[in-house]
Amino acid sequence: MEPAAVLDNNHHLSYHELPYIIRWREDRCTRCGRCTAVCPVKAIEPSVMVQRLVMSDGKTPMPSMVRHVMHVVRQVTDIERYCTGCGTCTLVCPNMAIEPEYNPHNKFLTHKNRGGVSYKRGGRRNDPSVSTVDKLKFTRISMLTDPALDAGRHEFHVRTLLGRNLPPEELPLKTENGKLVVDRESGRFVPPVREIFPIRIGSMSIGALSPPMWEGLAMGVTYLNEVEGIPVVMCSGEGGLPPRLLKSRFLKYFIIQIASGYFGWDEIIHALPDMVEDPCAIEIKYGQGAKPGDGGLLMAYKVLKLIAKIRGVPMYVDLASPPTHQTQYSIEEAVAKMIQSMSMAWGFRVPVYPKISGTKTAKAVLNNLARNPYAAALCIDGEDGGTGAAYNVSMDKMGHPIVSNIRECYLDLVKQGRQNELPLIAAGGMGKRGNLAANAAAMIMLGASAVDTGKYMMQATAGCFGDEYNRCNLCNTGRCPRGITTQDPSLYRRLDADKVAERVVEVFKSAETEFKKIFAPMGRSTQLPIGMSDGLSVGDKAIADRLQIDYAC
Amino acid sequence: MLAPRKSVAKNKKIMATKKKTAKKKTMTSGKKVVIRGNVNGNRVPSKMLEEQIQEAVRDGARNIDITANGQHGIGGRIWPRGEKVSITVEGPVGQRLGSMGMHGTEIIVRGSASDDVGWINCGARITVLGDVTNGAHNAGAQGILYVQGSGGARCDTMTKYNPRFEPLQSWYLRDVGDSFAEFKAGGTAVVCGINPRNPDNILGYRPCVGMVGGTIYFRGPIREYSENDVQIVDLSATDWDWLVGNMKTFLKAVDRIDYYDELTRSTGDWKKIIAYTPAERAAGRKLKMPLTGFREKIWEKTVGRGGIFGEYLDYPQTILPYITTGENRRNRPVWVNDKYAPPCSANCPSGIPSRKRASLIRQGKLEEALELVLRYSPFPASVCGQVCPNLCMQACTRGLVDRPLNIKEYGRVSLNLPTPKPAKPTGNKVAVIGGGPAGLSAAWQLALKGHTVNLYETEDKIGGKLELCIPRDRLPNRILKKELSRFKEVGVRIHKGKRIKQKDFEKIYGENDIVVVACGAHQPRTLKFPGSEDVVPGIEFLKDINFGNAPDLKARKVVVIGAGNVGMDIACQAYDCGAKSVTAVDVQKPAAFGKELELAEAKGTKVLWPKITEKYDSRKKKIYFTDGTSLDADVVIISIGELPILDFLPAGIHTEKGWIVVNELGQTTDVKVFAIGDATRPGLVTHAIGQGRITADVIHAQMMQYDYMPEVKQTIPYDRIKNIYYDVEYPDTFETGEEANRCMSCGLCRDCHMCEQTCYYGAISRIGHDDGSYEYVVDDEKCIGCSFCAGICPCGVWEMVENI
Repeated sequence: MEPAAVLDNNHHLSYHELPYIIRWREDRCTRCGRCTAVCPVKAIEPSVMVQRLVMSDGKTPMPSMVRHVMHVVRQVTDIERYCTGCGTCTLVCPNMAIEPEYNPHNKFLTHKNRGGVSYKRGGRRNDPSVSTVDKLKFTRISMLTDPALDAGRHEFHVRTLLGRNLPPEELPLKTENGKLVVDRESGRFVPPVREIFPIRIGSMSIGALSPPMWEGLAMGVTYLNEVEGIPVVMCSGEGGLPPRLLKSRFLKYFIIQIASGYFGWDEIIHALPDMVEDPCAIEIKYGQGAKPGDGGLLMAYKVLKLIAKIRGVPMYVDLASPPTHQTQYSIEEAVAKMIQSMSMAWGFRVPVYPKISGTKTAKAVLNNLARNPYAAALCIDGEDGGTGAAYNVSMDKMGHPIVSNIRECYLDLVKQGRQNELPLIAAGGMGKRGNLAANAAAMIMLGASAVDTGKYMMQATAGCFGDEYNRCNLCNTGRCPRGITTQDPSLYRRLDADKVAERVVEVFKSAETEFKKIFAPMGRSTQLPIGMSDGLSVGDKAIADRLQIDYAC
Repeated sequence: MLAPRKSVAKNKKIMATKKKTAKKKTMTSGKKVVIRGNVNGNRVPSKMLEEQIQEAVRDGARNIDITANGQHGIGGRIWPRGEKVSITVEGPVGQRLGSMGMHGTEIIVRGSASDDVGWINCGARITVLGDVTNGAHNAGAQGILYVQGSGGARCDTMTKYNPRFEPLQSWYLRDVGDSFAEFKAGGTAVVCGINPRNPDNILGYRPCVGMVGGTIYFRGPIREYSENDVQIVDLSATDWDWLVGNMKTFLKAVDRIDYYDELTRSTGDWKKIIAYTPAERAAGRKLKMPLTGFREKIWEKTVGRGGIFGEYLDYPQTILPYITTGENRRNRPVWVNDKYAPPCSANCPSGIPSRKRASLIRQGKLEEALELVLRYSPFPASVCGQVCPNLCMQACTRGLVDRPLNIKEYGRVSLNLPTPKPAKPTGNKVAVIGGGPAGLSAAWQLALKGHTVNLYETEDKIGGKLELCIPRDRLPNRILKKELSRFKEVGVRIHKGKRIKQKDFEKIYGENDIVVVACGAHQPRTLKFPGSEDVVPGIEFLKDINFGNAPDLKARKVVVIGAGNVGMDIACQAYDCGAKSVTAVDVQKPAAFGKELELAEAKGTKVLWPKITEKYDSRKKKIYFTDGTSLDADVVIISIGELPILDFLPAGIHTEKGWIVVNELGQTTDVKVFAIGDATRPGLVTHAIGQGRITADVIHAQMMQYDYMPEVKQTIPYDRIKNIYYDVEYPDTFETGEEANRCMSCGLCRDCHMCEQTCYYGAISRIGHDDGSYEYVVDDEKCIGCSFCAGICPCGVWEMVENI
């Protein structure tokens, strides 16, 4: 041990190395301790500071000294307790006395590997620049050339089809007494197709999300279907579904995901005989845009009764989703057999499709699927997707942007003349800057049939603090200050499922209006303008060339 | 037919004169003009027809009959300035009849009209004795439109209301087409529903989209109106009066008075559409159904009480605020008084409780405080106060502020303390072999605990290296003697001048319950090099001096091989014996530190390293090193450590490399034999004392037959102590009370009430107990777990723990 006297600030970090600096105003603070009580990472703590003043009040130098020891709120400079900028302190402060301020000069990543442990976090890619999809503009406006539509007045049918659409010549139809009827004797397989709203809530599992967050989303989706008549669907994520939902008629609004951990699947299979409705679809997850090629781990301390029951596992065990499906060895075999098994489980009445990470090899997967009569769609999750937990390096540096990936796949289908047969679903970064409907519309016009959104939903419906400046992003720690991604009741009870549901409804109603505002001036109302890329322009020549769209400036 | 120019001029004159006399008469009796839209089979262009009409009016025409042939905008834009101009139109009417019509203009169309009748009507009364097609009264502001038949699509859209004028009226006897009254902002529309084209829907597809004002009275079924914009209500008495009052005029105008009774039969036949007010629309943005209602009536009714997770959640489904108290707190404070060891005692090998001593002094219990120390060491004055490097002070938190607490002085003031009384004799017998610091420490502890202790010492004096080797100017013999005198008082039986042999050991082993080997290390370690036989062992050199046989080193140059602390002691002693110069050499960075090094350097000792001795030539008085250098050396003393002399030990007690193998409790491989001090490994005197005490505790437990439970406390981290409370001061003098105040009481409550004062919620209070002790407690129902108590406690006594 070093003698006390020689220890000073050796090996200490200054808060300038940290991503957020706490601005605390001594003049406003009442020392009520609300901020220090709520800080999820204990990045601030009450402490003492001393003020020592030597004054001279006389006509000649007459020093007198005053010494005050004050109680203060101080930022901790321990890298393990860095301020994440979530701003919960600001939220609870009655006097606007405290707030974290982003520090653009931080050297956080330089230091955040103590013990040789790489930085892990939740959230999204820390890239605040304008994404390609946000650069796209809708420039084909019907101005006297063809009838413009009125978003408020005209009836719009903002719906998309999830499932394989057979070309007319493959439909089992025949004429009977001069009328077109279904030829039931043809033996041809007619793939199941769902008509849904083109923005879906992407896969977020029970476990990644807290009970009120997941239930709030589920309730909102059900409300949209049952009350508002907007057929929004959501994906379960890999964490099973509660039996109460599996056995309810609301199941039809949910896409059930199966991933490499197969969590909850025995419970789902047990519930099959009691299901009164088929699920909307089955999504087979092969990859995730935020952390391509990486798996997941739900840590043992989060596996409480609820998670354990729903996933059909004991409490307090680590739940690992391996990076790859363990029983599958090639793309041909993997995809085909998974799609067949899942289709079979519901008597081929449910669309089954895979979800992959955005990748240069997406076209190979697509072409495989195009030849598979049971494949219902292809969902591609681009690099801007979010996650509950991943290595920072995976999130920031791994992955493929979604825009050119989807475009390339769509144009490939066009080349084969099959663009209306296999729907493409785009995910990752939709609504990254708040423009959910615009992003979705742009992706649709590039060739996607639908888009998925996840992070946006957390931000819009539950006030998630996370952003591209690495704000908060505590999802992996179980300490989510909003109660969104935690299994700790003292945190998730902060979240009101009804309020989440209400916001879900508001978000989708508003998105529908925005869709109309985009599609009306383009003269589209009854059919989604999938692949209507002549309506798009971009002010970047390289992007325009790559996407084969118009360059406008 | 074109009216001649002349006559127009003439009419102007007439008008001018008549205006002065009888204005009213002029209005009713203006001359009648016929204008044809088709002359000799040729259609008159809209522009020319308009010019003819305008000219006729200027010429005083007040009754104009027009035979139209699809001309645009007939009858509009006539400015009669209060006079009445009647226009009758027959034949195929073009678009926008009566558009921009003005007050005073009356148009009657004998038949149906085309699109946009009354477009931006500004006051004209237009009667159509037939149907109107799309867009009738579009953007109309004032005036009246009477339609004998149906309206087309988009009738009454964008109608306005200007408070300067009476509101516009549109009357349709039958029904209207799709998109009726879109963006309607004012005026009144009446749709009578007589003989409608679609009996199920008299207002067409999606009427009233974007309607923000005005009124629509209708009679008959409607569908798909814009519920977001408008509401359907019953007619009030005022509405009914207005409707009935104006109905006759309308029906007369369209020549359908027969329907009067049917249309005015009952107010219940009619409904009224009005736009929501902006406030109502804002309120109407709320969802169709509140979510709480949805949860209750649809969600939970289907999935079960408590929602989809209801069966798995064990807590009340209420929302928690961010700031919580009681069991919902994230963290809670605990008063962990004395849970942690302070750095001083944690770093003291003897375990002297300096923090407790200062605390007792602050409480006015000086005697108790000083005596406490004798329970830990029999040598507070000799060791703490003299020879110890005081690791306690090096670790002292106060050193972060100014200067460590002066623990050395506390040792010195303990010199004249009365000897503690030993406990009742237990009858157990322990032999201690060696009367140095380790053996004496063990003997002291065991004697105080009431055991019979026989101590065997080779030399004629006890004290070991304190007596034999440490220079008298570092440890005045007076002080040591005084402290050694205590041993007799506690009843230690001392056998001096007794070198233990193997036989003796066997005897001692047989006669005693426990044997403690504390024989020290007295066999000098040497090096073999040419001339090494002429080198003096350091320990012998020091012993000779302390025994009064100091060598005369006057004007001699001395080289000491080995620059540890003993080497420094040797250097000092050599100077005191008259040496001209002393140089200490070492093969590595010298281990000497603290007082010993300071003293030796002050006397002129040079320390050189790395130096590996090659040979010593006693004839030339030169010592040579492997790096080719040499030093003059009249005397060479070697001090590279000593090994214990263990020839008396039986084979059953393991040794390794010359040292007795022990664990941290001093236990050897023989359960009856313990070993401590330099016999086990070289160390400071304070280490020997600490080992003696711990081993004595272990022996005591073993003999009294209970489990030895060492008190293991973590050391409190420095940052838990808020040293900012303490002002910088460098005291010149030592005063026990003042100095105790300087102690920052690391981990031990000072009873300063700082936490009690600081807690914003008044959750902390102090409870005093009858025995004079006290504690600080937390009211969990007030505490929010903010950690202010922990953050500001000067002593680090409050600790936040997760509230599980």
